Amino acid sequence: MNYAILACTGLDKPEGSVAREVAIRLAETTGAKIICPVALNRTPARYKRALAENRLIVVDGCATKCASKLAAATGTKVAQKVLVSDVVKAAGSALDPGLRLGPGALELARKMADGISENEAFTPKKTRRAGEAPAEMEFEAASDHVVVVHDKYEFRIPATGYYFNANDVWAQVAGTRARVGISDYLQQRLTDITYVDPPEIGATVAQFDELGAIESTKAAFDVISPVSGVVVRVNEAVADAPESINEDPYGSWIAELDLTAWDEDRALLVDGPAYAADVERKAAEE
Amino acid sequence: MPESTFMGVPRSKIPWAPTIDYHKCDYCMECDEFCPHRVFERREGHVKLVVANPGNCVVFCRACAKTCGPDAITFPDKQETVALIKRLHAEGGKG
Repeated sequence: MNYAILACTGLDKPEGSVAREVAIRLAETTGAKIICPVALNRTPARYKRALAENRLIVVDGCATKCASKLAAATGTKVAQKVLVSDVVKAAGSALDPGLRLGPGALELARKMADGISENEAFTPKKTRRAGEAPAEMEFEAASDHVVVVHDKYEFRIPATGYYFNANDVWAQVAGTRARVGISDYLQQRLTDITYVDPPEIGATVAQFDELGAIESTKAAFDVISPVSGVVVRVNEAVADAPESINEDPYGSWIAELDLTAWDEDRALLVDGPAYAADVERKAAEE
Repeated sequence: MPESTFMGVPRSKIPWAPTIDYHKCDYCMECDEFCPHRVFERREGHVKLVVANPGNCVVFCRACAKTCGPDAITFPDKQETVALIKRLHAEGGKG
């Protein structure tokens, strides 16, 4: 599999300059093809083939995420994505002002490029964690649906077995486990989903914590967890084919958790028919 | 239109909305362009963007802050907000 890299131009902020350096290093070490964001924006056809034939790595400099937005605008699936400002923040450091990179920033760029190529060399990063695979639980497919009709739209909601928070995220519970995904209403609002960033396996989340993120051609969405627990499994198939959420929102779970406070969490969730009433109201308010 | 309730609690009782640090904001308007809930409004004059409709903000959504290059948007503490919602929920949403 070959790779293409779409990175910040590096001409606005030092974080961007690091992103640009990461792209150059990746191209040098892996042979990946660099996609110029300015040229892509001006003449998308120029890169049509490169985007269709390669796995895309996106390197954003700052939270404006111009490179991500360009990828979304072309409807390209993203294999891996990094944000320099997040990496700098996580390291508890700061970049020197100015666009010319000093030794510290160059070292950071080298480490980021190595990290990306390790992830892409290429075992999916979310399953690299060692340990025994958790036992399979029985999660039955939703069979009976409530349908909310609004104008030309139809929103399907499982009548039983699924619980929803007010952020349009569902939990399907089996024993002490839950799978989490987004509702049909939300996927229709987001339109074509191009990127799923699942949570880390082993992560402990509280109810309403972020449990990964989703991006579409229209918007970015943080998955707000309806349950508290420990992430034991993520759905690699959905990460590899984000459009599956559009096709089957209630089968396309994003993460599976060992529940830690289900009784307490349940009190703040609604069942399918109650969520259907919420969807009706939300659709009417739009 | 603002949501009237969140988890059965009146939305007006939940102080979840963005705050703009005007020392950092460069008025790129990315947040306003991103947010589909009309939380922000543009103004003429010195201050060009305000949080005009905080009640429209989706509780626990912080997506606009993630579009902010200069990192000028902050939100209330999530744990405190969760605790408040749970307390109001237990009181039957009457707050």
